Amino acid sequence: MVPDEHLVERCLAQDDDAWNELVARYSRYVLAICTQGYRLQGADAEDAFQDVFLRVYDRLGSLRDPAALRPWIGQLTRRVCLDRLAAGKREEPTDLEPEGIDATIEELDDAFAVREALNELPDECQEVLDRFFCRDESYRMIGEELGIPSGTIASRISRCLARLRERFADG
Amino acid sequence: MSNSPSDPVRGAGYAAGRTAAAAARLVADVARASTDSWAGAAGAAAQAGALADRLETLAEVDADAFAAALVALGDPSPELQSQMERAAAVPLEIAEAAADVASAAALVAERCDGLVRADAAGAAALAAGAASAAAHLVRANLTVTPDDPRLARALRAVDDARYSASRALDSET
Repeated sequence: MVPDEHLVERCLAQDDDAWNELVARYSRYVLAICTQGYRLQGADAEDAFQDVFLRVYDRLGSLRDPAALRPWIGQLTRRVCLDRLAAGKREEPTDLEPEGIDATIEELDDAFAVREALNELPDECQEVLDRFFCRDESYRMIGEELGIPSGTIASRISRCLARLRERFADG
Repeated sequence: MSNSPSDPVRGAGYAAGRTAAAAARLVADVARASTDSWAGAAGAAAQAGALADRLETLAEVDADAFAAALVALGDPSPELQSQMERAAAVPLEIAEAAADVASAAALVAERCDGLVRADAAGAAALAAGAASAAAHLVRANLTVTPDDPRLARALRAVDDARYSASRALDSET
């Protein structure tokens, strides 16, 4: 996976593929902040999502540290969500921060970091970890789907988690 | 300990789910106690923790399904069939998750620190018992016939769990 700083560099050079990659990389993160963090729904969430990426497009050149792309997008998203909540309410946006929002964003940051590290693993590890931890599939079902003896799935998952941990430590 | 007349009746599926969840927590504890001697211990602990969470949720879901099935049986309605189907589906999930706990326990028993090996083997035996109890509930459900694929899956889970438990118990010798 291309590091964020290289992705930013290519976006600033008007590389369309890089922009597509940036949106693909951060779309779930932005949407999660809008919907889980600020409880925006339906059209409100979609509008906020569009607004965030418009601002990213307009302001990417002002990002001082390209390696800090994720926290920068996170802050932009929070600002957009607050503006949307404040619209028509005559309240200061800061009064509209949902309770526990910092903890929610922290959890989303952790989840995003794990997902990034997962993407760096070999396909077979991504597959087995996703099936067990995200889809709640049983060892037998995983074994049948992947053509692996079910009695070996637990040790395979352990090995993949150890590799994930290494990636996480390296990152 | 006794239930008051107003307490909900939770049934054997709930107990099987909680038992398998407790076994999974024990597996996680044993694995964590072995991180100095086994590189895969943290991964085994994470799996066991995930299985415990899954089984605790399934136990609660089973209690609800069981209560709804009891009500439906006492006062038959068009929903009876679907309530009974649900009352069979949840124990099947519990049986399969319990089999996974036994499998994780076997792995941990074979690799863990010798001081805690008996605990991993005990967890495997508990999980196998929970799988058997849950599979029995699938078999006893009025909507399940002898050639029902759900029953075949439940019995396969019991076989898997027993095999894993025997592996775990053998690891002590």
